Amino acid sequence: MKRILTVLIVLMLAVSGLVFATGDAEATDDGTIVIGHTANNVGIDSYQTTHDQVFRDTVAALEGVSAIQLDAGGDVALQINQVEDLIQKNVDVIVIWPVNGKAIVPAAKKAFDAGIPVLICNSLIDESGYQYVKGFAGPDTYEEGVNAAVGMIEALDGEGNVVELMGMPGYVTAIRRSEGFQDKIADDAPGIEILATEPTDWNREKATRVMENLLTKYQNIDGVYVADDNIGIGALNALKEAGRAGDIVMTSACMFGEGYDAMEEGFIYGSVYQSPAEDAKKAVEVAVKLANGEEVPFWNFFETPVVTKANMDQFERPNF
Amino acid sequence: MKKILRFFKKKPIWAILLLLVVIITILAPEFIRRRNLLNILLQSSVNGVMAVGMTYLMINGFFDLSVGTVMGFSAALAVGLQPLGIFPAVIIALLAGAGIGAVNGFLVARAKINAFVVTLGSFIGVRGLIYIYTKEDALIGERMVFSDFGSSSVLGIPTLFIIMLVIAVIAEFVLRKTPHGRNTYAVGGNYEAAENAGIRVNRTVMVNFILCSLAAAVGGVLLASRMNAATPGLGWPDQNLMIIATVVLGGTSLNGGYGSIVHTMGGVLTIGVIQNALNLLNVQSYYNMLLMGIILILVVFADSRFKQARNALRVTDS
Repeated sequence: MKRILTVLIVLMLAVSGLVFATGDAEATDDGTIVIGHTANNVGIDSYQTTHDQVFRDTVAALEGVSAIQLDAGGDVALQINQVEDLIQKNVDVIVIWPVNGKAIVPAAKKAFDAGIPVLICNSLIDESGYQYVKGFAGPDTYEEGVNAAVGMIEALDGEGNVVELMGMPGYVTAIRRSEGFQDKIADDAPGIEILATEPTDWNREKATRVMENLLTKYQNIDGVYVADDNIGIGALNALKEAGRAGDIVMTSACMFGEGYDAMEEGFIYGSVYQSPAEDAKKAVEVAVKLANGEEVPFWNFFETPVVTKANMDQFERPNF
Repeated sequence: MKKILRFFKKKPIWAILLLLVVIITILAPEFIRRRNLLNILLQSSVNGVMAVGMTYLMINGFFDLSVGTVMGFSAALAVGLQPLGIFPAVIIALLAGAGIGAVNGFLVARAKINAFVVTLGSFIGVRGLIYIYTKEDALIGERMVFSDFGSSSVLGIPTLFIIMLVIAVIAEFVLRKTPHGRNTYAVGGNYEAAENAGIRVNRTVMVNFILCSLAAAVGGVLLASRMNAATPGLGWPDQNLMIIATVVLGGTSLNGGYGSIVHTMGGVLTIGVIQNALNLLNVQSYYNMLLMGIILILVVFADSRFKQARNALRVTDS
């Protein structure tokens, strides 16, 4: 026991000697930009995998810019550690794709206190964290909802009964896509009534069940608005069972590969194209500006255009 | 010099830690900066506290798969019950953890159900509790005092790490100097012999299950104080296995009867250093996991080789 203690003490002295020897000298700035990025969960779906790859490629193509790209793997605690490590690494800007918009706030504050600009990408940070970040780069999910409403109004000619299948309650993307759709319908198409808005938790099976119930409850449905194509395919399964597919108009706020196919077959009327590549490029673009000390607007959206059967050949089939 | 060598042979984890520190410092000089080392201590605190509890249980000859979700549950309670006041919220969170440990302990010690099955069951069941309690949404604390505590420091050392250190020192003392500590070694070493010697085996097992879950609950509270929030996914899916791996790295035997808190701390620091270093070195997280797996196996391999060598030596000596 005593021997162990001796060795431990020697070890600790050695380490502390090193600690005080190096002190807190700042890393020398050689004029190049280092972007620190912690992603939500790279391996979980092809959207995030593509985002990560395009982020890498975009940075590699830029001269004088490099990136430290970390993956939180869906773990909030790990993401906080990663932000702290990036602060230690003294990067020029930290790009966070939050695993959770609320839990990341104290970490964003730490970076803010350390004087490192923070850019939130793809999914929003909680409002209490706005004061600690320089801005957001990603899709305008409100606008996606609006675009889905435009398609719906066009398809129904401004008249009819619609049901809405939204994502996860409390999740900011779900809320904003829902608000965008409802606001646009209320403003532009008083003839369209939203009979029901039901949560599906982004879950396909649940979407099928919810749609089946809605079909039983309402005989007069003319259109279905879905918050993304995953829910859309779930709802479409219910419509097919009931023999109503293609007859009831469907519009979606985010196109997936399967939804692309369904549009080709005429089951989905209108959708919104959210490209992970554009998403990543926007994040890098804004991050570089922040690292250079430029002022940027808080909201930095990339284009999320409307897709219908008429123009779908201009878009590649999404790989997610 | 010989003594140091012998020490490293006995406890390869410290040699590995020292080696890692040297290599990483060469590759990434900012690693050895004071702030970064403090950073590692802070990041290791939660796992450290949890590993202390697990060490007790593993010396006792069992392990607990439920620690990940127990941590998540107590974090959720510590944040969600804040309207009652921070102190009551923390107490309830800790009691809930201890309660789950008591159920685990009862089922293993009295009902004689296999510990793997019992703690696997509570691992999944407690996740259900988290979802019921949080309604699948992240909870956010209403008082910044809580997170101010989580990011505070005393004399430049993170408060959370000091808490972990105090717990570790007390735990090591209890393990070495009290009847409960000695009973834990005895029961883990040879269950039947301990029973025949008149040790209240069931009670010892029960207490260690409670301590293990309580430690996980403390970890949950500390983690929540770092975020001022709790998310339903905390501790899922593999934190339990990481904690067990940490304790194994520290040389505690999976069969029980052998181990110590001091060396568990070696495991905790090693994992903290690796995670920090791979972030500093911009290594993709998949390699991160691969490397951890390799190191874990290496340490256990080295440990068993040295143990064989020691035993052989002892035979020739006598």
